[in-house]
Amino acid sequence: MNMIEFRNVTKVYEDNNTALKNINLTIKKGEFIFLVGPSGSGKTTFIKLLIKEIPVTSGNIFVAGRNICNLKASRVPQLRRNIGYVFQDFKLLPNKTIFENVAFALEVIGKPSYVIKVQVPQVLKLVGLANRLNSYPHQLSAGEQQRVSIARAFVNRPPILLADEPTGNLDPTTSEGIMRLLSRINLIGTTVAMATHDKSIVNSMRRRVVELEEGEIIRDQKRGVYGV
Amino acid sequence: MIFRPKYFFGETFISLRRNFLMFFTAITTVAITLFIVGLFLILVYDVQGILTSIKGQVEVAVYLKDNITDELKSYLENEIKGWDEVSEVKYVSKDQALEKFKKENEGSEILKEIQGNPLPASFELKLKSPEKVEQVALRFTDKNGNYIEGVDEVIYGQNYVQKLFSITAIAGTIAFLIIIVLLLAAIVLIFNTIRLSVHARRKEIEVMKLVGATNWFVRLPFLFEGFFEGFVGSLISVILLYFIANYLLIRGEKAIVDTMHIKDLAILGNNNIIVYIYAGLILLGGLIGIFSSGFALKRYIKV
Repeated sequence: MNMIEFRNVTKVYEDNNTALKNINLTIKKGEFIFLVGPSGSGKTTFIKLLIKEIPVTSGNIFVAGRNICNLKASRVPQLRRNIGYVFQDFKLLPNKTIFENVAFALEVIGKPSYVIKVQVPQVLKLVGLANRLNSYPHQLSAGEQQRVSIARAFVNRPPILLADEPTGNLDPTTSEGIMRLLSRINLIGTTVAMATHDKSIVNSMRRRVVELEEGEIIRDQKRGVYGV
Repeated sequence: MIFRPKYFFGETFISLRRNFLMFFTAITTVAITLFIVGLFLILVYDVQGILTSIKGQVEVAVYLKDNITDELKSYLENEIKGWDEVSEVKYVSKDQALEKFKKENEGSEILKEIQGNPLPASFELKLKSPEKVEQVALRFTDKNGNYIEGVDEVIYGQNYVQKLFSITAIAGTIAFLIIIVLLLAAIVLIFNTIRLSVHARRKEIEVMKLVGATNWFVRLPFLFEGFFEGFVGSLISVILLYFIANYLLIRGEKAIVDTMHIKDLAILGNNNIIVYIYAGLILLGGLIGIFSSGFALKRYIKV
């Protein structure tokens, strides 16, 4: 089953900068793919289009078989609840504790508190932070903060997890830990798409690699490495 | 979306505690600006009250010739009673006028000089609408500007009355403009402060949107906060105004009344309108709070 499908997708920004040119790509359920390429090659645009943070210029995007390009604005929150999103800069709320940061993602989609009380500690255990529930983000290391951000993205058990340079701010050892975590989430059946230009990570993981350059796919390899 | 009051009120008060400085700023801004608006409103309302009582004391005195016949006199009296502008007509005979004059000048040398009764009989007119005093006075003259038969002179303090009316008209316009300007300044200040407090939390809004919160879910706690800030701020301003109006202004006005000998002055606090001013300020505060939050959010909510 195709989890994500791009059909002839083109994105031109208001300043006439073409970020993606006629992209055709399918990602199957349970797949783990790397989006690689230099800065400005269209990786982030690819991810932003998937959560409808920005609209497509032409073409169609299907998520779980549904065309999201003609999705009504009122249905966008529903789409986003099915897609976890991990940022390079974590985007944790500094005035909330770790527990509250993760719980926030459930609260704002209207989950009752008894669900929150069960699911939040569970997912924090999964990312290895079960003993830091009451800490504040600034009391954690960068790697730990990224784990919290992953926990927040995954707490609702979305079928898709998108990660935009999740290891961009981390050192190699910490990055490895984050990658192990993402692999585990992938093993549970989650489709994971990760944008990165971290060569060593891509080479060590041996997953599907889609390489973008100036908005076009120049390589799509089953068990690829970063560069040829 | 399921409405969950516990979440919304909880969020409102958690963020109240954590963003205390921002709330404090917003609330004091609302309190101070609305206090100034309210104080000015009360002062203007009060001055208008004083001017209205002064206007109410405008009278027209119609002095009659000594040789006027009784028929003409009663004809005139009936005629005046029929005019819409006039609320009260009092006939003062020559004797009554002399008696009044004697009373007012008791012990004075003038009384010894008086021989017989030089004072004229007169009609004293009170008006329903003091602004029409000139029209009323003109009714006692013919086409050529001479007084009609039997009337010797009509006096209504021409210069004084005209000045009073033009001053009140100008003062009213200026006061209205100042209130509009003050109100706009208050709205802009409050809006900017609340916008800043929303801006300070744009990251929170972004995260909410990206994890799939609906727009209303993002909006409601902010609207509550905006309302809360506006409501508490305006409440503080009204409490301040209440004390100032009841203790300082009333005393000041009593002093003015005592020195100026103004009758029937509408003293502040005797009137319900002041309660409407208070209620209006609180309503205004709450509404500005909600709308400011709503408008400020517009920019951030479109993720």
